Amino acid sequence: MNILRKLWNDLHLFMALPAILLFGLFFIYPLVQGIGISLTDSNGMTAPRFIGLHNFADFFHDARAKRDVYNTVFFAIGSAPLLNLFGFLYALILDRPFKGKGFVRAVVYLPAVISPLIMGYVWYFILQPDRGFLYHLLASLHLGTGGSDWLGNAHSALIVLVFINVWQFVGMTMIIYLAGLQSIPKELYEAGEIDGAGYLKSLWYITIPMVVQSIKINVVTNIIGSLSVFEVIIALTDGGPGYSTESLSIYILRMLYGSFTGYSTAVAMILFAMIIIPVFIFMRYINKKEFEM
Amino acid sequence: MKNPRTLGKYTLVTGMSLLSLIPFYILLYLALNKPSRTLFNGLSLLPDFNFSNFSEAWESSRMGLATLNSLIITIGGAFLIILVASSAGYAIARYSNIFHQSVFNLLLICMMIPAIIITVPLYTLMKSIGGINTHWAMILLMASNGIPFSVFLYTGFIKVLPREIEESAIIDGCTPFTAFWRVTFHFLRPVTAAVVILQGLAIWNNYGQAVFFLQGQDMRTIPLAVSMFFQQYGAQWNLMAAAAVIGLAPAVLAFLIFQKYFVKGITAGAVKG
Repeated sequence: MNILRKLWNDLHLFMALPAILLFGLFFIYPLVQGIGISLTDSNGMTAPRFIGLHNFADFFHDARAKRDVYNTVFFAIGSAPLLNLFGFLYALILDRPFKGKGFVRAVVYLPAVISPLIMGYVWYFILQPDRGFLYHLLASLHLGTGGSDWLGNAHSALIVLVFINVWQFVGMTMIIYLAGLQSIPKELYEAGEIDGAGYLKSLWYITIPMVVQSIKINVVTNIIGSLSVFEVIIALTDGGPGYSTESLSIYILRMLYGSFTGYSTAVAMILFAMIIIPVFIFMRYINKKEFEM
Repeated sequence: MKNPRTLGKYTLVTGMSLLSLIPFYILLYLALNKPSRTLFNGLSLLPDFNFSNFSEAWESSRMGLATLNSLIITIGGAFLIILVASSAGYAIARYSNIFHQSVFNLLLICMMIPAIIITVPLYTLMKSIGGINTHWAMILLMASNGIPFSVFLYTGFIKVLPREIEESAIIDGCTPFTAFWRVTFHFLRPVTAAVVILQGLAIWNNYGQAVFFLQGQDMRTIPLAVSMFFQQYGAQWNLMAAAAVIGLAPAVLAFLIFQKYFVKGITAGAVKG
């Protein structure tokens, strides 16, 4: 009886356990197992054999994988800075008082509420060559539509994908910056004004340092989100033409369906490294900066 | 609008709003047209207001069943996340020790790992526990996906919440465990709202994992049903658009209802904490 009572009193010490168990079973355990699978020639049918780092060596000689790394990095380098730039500008504009502020904020965030897959399909309607909305718009405005096959050409398709991603998630980035802007005490700006700081100066010396926490969250989530891009590409180009817009996430899935289980898992581990390394470099850099201020 | 500055500002925010809304308009436009209509031709911007696309799309792709599946998984998953993430956040924020600190750091690192990376071993696991094509396993999986960010939000929020909130309850005879559920939990409403929206939408929209673990026709969720529609009915844009509108309407509605709390919760949990 006493033990039960004591356990009841100390129950709070175990409150993290359910979360740990659930997360351990459905995430950590598969992750650790994945490291093992990536070192085998597993194909989901015959018994897997241990082949060391063979899969990883294969990756570096895989032309399709190289193309996919290029596409993924292109997409991320396009998306992450643009998202942060426009998200911050949007936040600055919508932080000022005006009628209908709440409505505009909700509208700008709205695209992020919908699955990138469905939004991708809508953009597909818009961008169809010769009959899409944009084609008709340009034609009726006499702006020329010669190159209307925006998704049929590898280079323009990648740029279109970046644009759609920025369009969809600019509201998400904006909300985090807005939250940061709203936690800045107004007295700082008053003090800045007395010291003769103009708008740009107070932006640089007060606003940006004060939203460091928002910058951190945004940059990290944008890096993760854009390097693991998947649905928007499936909806718009399905990786094509050829493999010219395929991302690493899609490649991992295709290899999986093709029963190259071991190789697919190895590529997944490489994608993991591609995400975690820039995030760590960024975190170190920004934490140092923060310390200096 | 007294001066050019205000006029400029309103033009700017109107432009921003339109840019976000145009694809929604086009989707509705498509969904409301008669199948015979040549789309966009001559740019007449009003659709035919033909509502029969919705009923036809609803029946031919069994959207009712998909909606039910999505609802069960989303509500179950979000409920489980609130339950385990809030209590974990409480333990980590209030009882700081090496164990809790390591758990928190581990979760932070795992936030950076996209779900696709663990798909293969997860498939083996799901098979061995008999979880393929079941609601319960999908609920557990969706909840585990949402744990890192939700614990992060809850921990940040509880850290800046004064301890006195539960201390008086403890003096009155509550254990710290019951004090949390009876008192502190009610103060977590803004974060809980943010968690409900963020994770609820993530579960509602989940496609990558649903494709793998819900392959049965009767287990299809909304994103699967909509994507099936796009893959099967090549030319019927009106029906496809109607299906897409049905699929996104609940998400838009839920967001519009909760969005006020959402911003508050994000501010309190992620940015201040």
